[in-house]
Amino acid sequence: MMEIGLNHYLILSTILFAIGLVGVMRRKNLLLLFFATEILLNSVNIAFAAISHYYGDLTGQMFAFFVIAIAASEVAVGLGLLIVWYKRHGNIDLDSLASMKG
Amino acid sequence: MEKYLYIALFAPLVSSLFSALFTATPKKTFTGIIASLLIFSAFVSSSILLTHILGGGEPIHVEMMTWMATGDLYIPFGFVVDEISVTMMMVVTLVSTVVHIYSIGYMDHDKGFNRFFSYLSAFVFSMMILVMSDNYAGLFIGWEGVGLCSWLLIGFWFHKESATWAANEAFIMNRIADLGMLVGLFLIYWNTGTLQYEGSFAAFAHLDTTTLSWIGIFLFIGAMGKSAQFPLHTWLADAMEGPTPVSALIHAATMVTAGVYLVVRSNELYSLIPHVGLFIASLGAFVAIFAASMALVNRDMKRVIAYSTLSQLGYMFAAAGLGAYWVALFHLMAHAFFKALLFLGAGNVMHAMHDELDPFKMGGLKKVMKWTYIMMTFASVALAGLFPLAGFFSKDTILEAAFAEHHFVIYSVLLFTAGLTAFYSFRLTALIFEGEERYKLFGIHPHEAYKYMLVAMSPLLILAIIAGAFRTTFFGMVEEILGAMEYHIHSHVTLWIMTIGTQVFVILAIMYAYKKYNNAKITVPDGTSAMENSFMYKLLLNQYYIPYAYEKYIVVPYREMSEVFWTHVDLKIVDASVDGIAGIIYNTGDRTSAMQSGNLSTMLKWMVAGLLGMLSLAVVFGLAVRYSDEILAILSGLGV
Amino acid sequence: MVDHILSILIFFPVVAALFGVIVHKDSIRAYGIAVSVIEFALSLWLWFAFDGQSSGMQFMESIPLIPAFGINYTLGVDGISVFIIILSTFVTLIGIASLGEIKNLKNMIITLLVLQMTMSGVFAALDAIIFYVFWELSLVPMLYIIGAWGGPLRIYASIKFFLYTFAGSLVMLVGMLFMAYFYNQATGEWSFAILDWYRLILPENLQLWLFVAFFLGFAIKVPMFPFHTWLPYAHGQAPTIGSVILAAILLKMGTYAFIRFSLPLFPDASVFFMYPIAVIAIIMVIYTAMVAYGQKDIKQVIAYSSISHMGIIIIGTFALNVEGISGSVFLMLGHGVVAGALFFLVGVIYDRRHTKIMSEFGGLAHSMPRYATIFGVMMMASVGMPLTINFVGEFLSLLGFFKQSQILTLLAGVGIIVGAIYMLTAYKKLFFGEITNEENRNLPDINKRELVALIPLTFLAIWLGVYPKPVLDPINTSVESIVQLMHDKAQTAEAKRRIPSPLSQMTIPVSSIEEAH
Repeated sequence: MMEIGLNHYLILSTILFAIGLVGVMRRKNLLLLFFATEILLNSVNIAFAAISHYYGDLTGQMFAFFVIAIAASEVAVGLGLLIVWYKRHGNIDLDSLASMKG
Repeated sequence: MEKYLYIALFAPLVSSLFSALFTATPKKTFTGIIASLLIFSAFVSSSILLTHILGGGEPIHVEMMTWMATGDLYIPFGFVVDEISVTMMMVVTLVSTVVHIYSIGYMDHDKGFNRFFSYLSAFVFSMMILVMSDNYAGLFIGWEGVGLCSWLLIGFWFHKESATWAANEAFIMNRIADLGMLVGLFLIYWNTGTLQYEGSFAAFAHLDTTTLSWIGIFLFIGAMGKSAQFPLHTWLADAMEGPTPVSALIHAATMVTAGVYLVVRSNELYSLIPHVGLFIASLGAFVAIFAASMALVNRDMKRVIAYSTLSQLGYMFAAAGLGAYWVALFHLMAHAFFKALLFLGAGNVMHAMHDELDPFKMGGLKKVMKWTYIMMTFASVALAGLFPLAGFFSKDTILEAAFAEHHFVIYSVLLFTAGLTAFYSFRLTALIFEGEERYKLFGIHPHEAYKYMLVAMSPLLILAIIAGAFRTTFFGMVEEILGAMEYHIHSHVTLWIMTIGTQVFVILAIMYAYKKYNNAKITVPDGTSAMENSFMYKLLLNQYYIPYAYEKYIVVPYREMSEVFWTHVDLKIVDASVDGIAGIIYNTGDRTSAMQSGNLSTMLKWMVAGLLGMLSLAVVFGLAVRYSDEILAILSGLGV
Repeated sequence: MVDHILSILIFFPVVAALFGVIVHKDSIRAYGIAVSVIEFALSLWLWFAFDGQSSGMQFMESIPLIPAFGINYTLGVDGISVFIIILSTFVTLIGIASLGEIKNLKNMIITLLVLQMTMSGVFAALDAIIFYVFWELSLVPMLYIIGAWGGPLRIYASIKFFLYTFAGSLVMLVGMLFMAYFYNQATGEWSFAILDWYRLILPENLQLWLFVAFFLGFAIKVPMFPFHTWLPYAHGQAPTIGSVILAAILLKMGTYAFIRFSLPLFPDASVFFMYPIAVIAIIMVIYTAMVAYGQKDIKQVIAYSSISHMGIIIIGTFALNVEGISGSVFLMLGHGVVAGALFFLVGVIYDRRHTKIMSEFGGLAHSMPRYATIFGVMMMASVGMPLTINFVGEFLSLLGFFKQSQILTLLAGVGIIVGAIYMLTAYKKLFFGEITNEENRNLPDINKRELVALIPLTFLAIWLGVYPKPVLDPINTSVESIVQLMHDKAQTAEAKRRIPSPLSQMTIPVSSIEEAH
């Protein structure tokens, strides 16, 4: 039985990051975009935690908590905005959000 | 004496400015009278200066003020009255006084009367600067000044297309020559360090022949323009569009002789480079016969006289080129008198004939215009060079000089031209004054000119007759400054044979002209006779097709090239490439602005693309740095 | 007060312009004239107080701006710049005095006063950054003048003018920054002062690069072929006053900068680039003269003729001897007067007929004799008739360059022929012949307001042609010191030979015509 090492965590983190990235690019629904963002953030968290454990330095884990806190507040604000948007426009499709066209 | 120098120089300027005050007002006879008086005062001053010089006085040299001074260059407004300039001053002021007075009558009915005198006096002023300046730059001021006045006066009747065209042609052609002259000036300055005659003449002796030759050639190019030498000669005949007094003063007596003056003035240069002198003499002889041949058939009275002027200028250059500077100057003077007289006479005829210029449409005018007839005949005799009139002495001396210098080709060309001169002069007088009164067919009632015009012309008549008597005096005066020498043919017998032979030849030519053109059968040519259809006749009448060639091979291509330069090169290449570069930038902006569609999803995609791009760059460079040694080894293995 | 006269000259008009905003629009004309008269009087005082015998900078003032980088507000004038400043105040004065009835007169006058500030600033600046600031600032009022009062293509023309010259000056700015950096490397101090830079001897290869960087900025401004195409558009679209100031003063910035920067800073590079630049200048002279001949619009003829004359100025500048450079400085003034006057003259018929196409005219000498006379005088000045202002400059410029290359001077001299061709042809088309277009029959002759502008210019054109000494002497003094500086700084033997020291006695070379390269 192979021992689970740092590399495995990092590979998991990369895979999750890739999934999140694809999600960010492909999803048209704003809600699902949030999910994808969460996956991105959490992939980073895994990497932080794993590297922190590897080096025996707690700073990384601390940063992971920090990221979780940021993500939580981001979701809170983001979802609030999303609800307002849904109430005004009746959908949360990304393509309809083009008022910033340059 | 300096006082007289200033009067001679500035009286014409005052006259010009005075007349200029009235250019906007209708004709005022007093402008003409005052202008004439002022020019006359310049003439009187010149005469006083002449007596001073003749009496063995020192040349008068004044320096008014600095004109240009920078670096090592120093050009003052300096004026000198010596034997050469005083001769020119006499010629200029005398002829211009006559022409001014004559013009009061000639321009009587012209509404530009006041303007005319302003221009005419301005011309005299420029001419005085030209001949009196003590340096080449000052000469150039006058040189360009007479060019400007010539432009103004040829185009005096500016409503006529032909007049303004001729004016521009004259100016531009002179400009071509002026460039040569400028280059000559630059060469003189950089090789001698000064443009003053005295200083540069002194330095010429130390220069090598090549430099001197170039200086001589470029100065002569300048002279070729002003004196209308081949190939810059076409403007002179076209310049006859100007009023006739202008032709008399500018295009016969004074301005066109400026080139001869330049060569005579620079005699110390040209005597050092006899090979250039020989070229000048050859060109002069060529122009003499070339112009005379065109005068043979021309049917425009003024143009015939213009060609004759051209031909006589050729004589002068032939003399100057052979080193006989004093002879050139003497012929210049004599020529000024009889040629101005001839032109003024032609002006009388033109007035009488209501501006008709074709001598074939005249005939028999001697009955109504007795005095004009006498004057023009004498002028023609002088021009033909018959003893004892002015032309005999001056022209015969040129022939002697050519003979004595052993340039027999030039001698024979000039001799033959003398015959041609006699022929065309008397062809003209015969056609105008003798024979049937053909003008009646055209319903013209000719009349003699005003009395005072005839009186004004009389000094010229007298001088045209007696000027030859001054030959010895003149020789004595300029002997020293021009290094003059009498030309002695070795044996008296040869001299007598030459002189008499020439006279007989000329008389025969005159008789032939009279026989041919003084008879009742002369009619206005209608282009059907055999002669008119001969090749030679057409060639001569069309001035050897030179004006056509200039038009076709220079003027038109220049115009077309200008068009092409503008529409194709400037707009389509230079400007288009500038706009093209700007266009590329604009288009890039337009295209890339699609990225900013405002669509979050697209932006995120671009973000990811950018991220990946930078990440891969970082990886590539990282690897490159990490393995730089190996990469270098591989590259050197590949022989790079 | 005389110590700060340059600052006053620069900032008085802009302060006056600010106050001009609150002046009532009925009295703005009088206000503008009053301000420009004072400004002109100040510049005359500058001339009066100027010591023509001294070759150095005079009326110097210096206030530190960014001491850490050696950027100071340094001003000063010498014989080269002082007359261009006077010309600029003079042209502004007559420009404002002769303004016709145009829309937004108030804005125009304020803009002109601001433009006056930038013009005095450029020619008085002795600090590269200050120079650059005024150099770029001058674009703004001109952009506004063309863009707001111009013809149908005004937006295109003004943007082209702005972007083109701006792009060039950015390269120049990089050159300046590098120059200061190099100064820092060499001395350990920062300085943007031009006089400090003069003391620096740069290695030759560096000179070449810096020369090119500066050249781009200057060449576009002059404008030199092939960077000239903005000029016909700018002139074609600009209102009369815009063209006058553009031709009379703004173009001179480029040629002035060549003498102020390129020559003394990079003497070896100047010698190195002398022939290529001379060839460009000859192309300018002949090619644009031919293009001018092909024009149908009289204003374009004058615009292209400007480029042609600028070619002679460049030739004179790169003669690299006292005769040539003095001539080119003098020709800057001459061209300012003559081209300015010609643009005024074109404005006169444009005001009457609202067209500039030459075929619309013909026979104007019948209906407008006084106009034809003044135009004729200016035309003759433009073709370089002796005893007019342009001849002095052209003669000296060509004379100077003749020392460097005889063949190239001969080619450049063709300019006096082709110049006569397009000018006389244009004059003939406008003034000679019968009146063919009935509209021209009763055109009013030139009026008093227009004479206010034209009489002084005509007077100047003749006075300085007959007696250039009061202006030429101070120019000569300053140019001698610049040439001496270049001679001393030159490193290569070629450069030493090409730039003769004005202080040493002139030697008379006994040589025949030799083909120069």
